[in-house]
Amino acid sequence: MKTCIACGMPMTKPSDYPMEDESKDYCIYCARPDGSMQSYPEKLEGTVWFLIRTQGIDEQAARELAVRTLARLPAWKEQTL
Amino acid sequence: MKKTSRQLQKEQTKELLIKTAFKLFSERGFLSTRISDIAGAAGVSHGTVFVHFPSLDALMAEVIEVYVGKIAQRTHELADSGKTLREVLCAHLNGIQEYEPFYTALVTENRQLPPPARDAWVTLQSVISLHFSRAVQRETEAGKIIPIPTSLLFNMWLGLVHHYLANTDLFAPGGKVIERYGETLIDNYLKLLASKGAE
Repeated sequence: MKTCIACGMPMTKPSDYPMEDESKDYCIYCARPDGSMQSYPEKLEGTVWFLIRTQGIDEQAARELAVRTLARLPAWKEQTL
Repeated sequence: MKKTSRQLQKEQTKELLIKTAFKLFSERGFLSTRISDIAGAAGVSHGTVFVHFPSLDALMAEVIEVYVGKIAQRTHELADSGKTLREVLCAHLNGIQEYEPFYTALVTENRQLPPPARDAWVTLQSVISLHFSRAVQRETEAGKIIPIPTSLLFNMWLGLVHHYLANTDLFAPGGKVIERYGETLIDNYLKLLASKGAE
C-alpha cells in the first residue's frame, strides 16, 4: 500500500488516486482537476482551510500546523515557506 | 545491498525499544515513563537507548508517530467503506479501541508533549475529520441531520469521546470505555443531530 507523498493519506483503492491512476504517488485530494499534483502554495492553503472547516482550528494556528506537517512529507521536504 | 548482521541487530534493537516504549506509555502515560524504565523493560543498557535516540523526546516522538500512524491507517481503512455518519463514528471508535490505553494517554497528555508528537496527534484527528465531514455533508444535504457547522459537530463528538476516555477511572474502572459505552455514545449523539421527520 502506498501513502500520498503530499499529504500522507493511505491510498488503498483505485478511487484514492487521481483519475484512478495507481501509478501516481499522490492522492486524489492532492491533485488538480486535470490530475496533476497541486503546488505547495495550493496544498498549504487547502490544508489550512481543511483544518479550519472540519476542526475549527484558529487560522494562524492552522497555518503553523500545516507548514510543520507538510514539511515532513516527501513532496515538500525542500520547501522553506 | 544486503544488510550486515550488525545492521540487522541494530534495527531489531530499535524496533524492540519502540515496542517496549509503546507498552510502557500505554500503561503509565508518557510523562511518567523514564528512559531507564524503557531500557530496563527492554533488557538493554541505558546507553543503548541513546545509540538509537538522542533523547526521551525523540523516542517519544517516534513511538507516537509510528503508533498514531497505525491508528490513522486502521481508522481510514474502516471509515473508508462507511457511507453513513453512524458507520464513520463506529469506525472511529473501533480504530481507537485497538489501541485504547495508548490513545487515552494521548488524550490526557498531548498538550504537554513535544511539538512533533502534538502535530502527529492533530494529524490523526484530520484523518477522522476527513471522513466525518464527508458523511456530515451527505446527511445534511439529504435532510437527515440538522444543519450545524461541521467543525462544531466534530468537536462535540470528540469532546464526548475524549471526556469518557480521559476519565476512565470514573466511567469504566479497570475496564474499557469504548467497549462499555461506544454504542450508547453513538446512538445518543446521532439522536441529538437527527432532523425532525428523519428516520
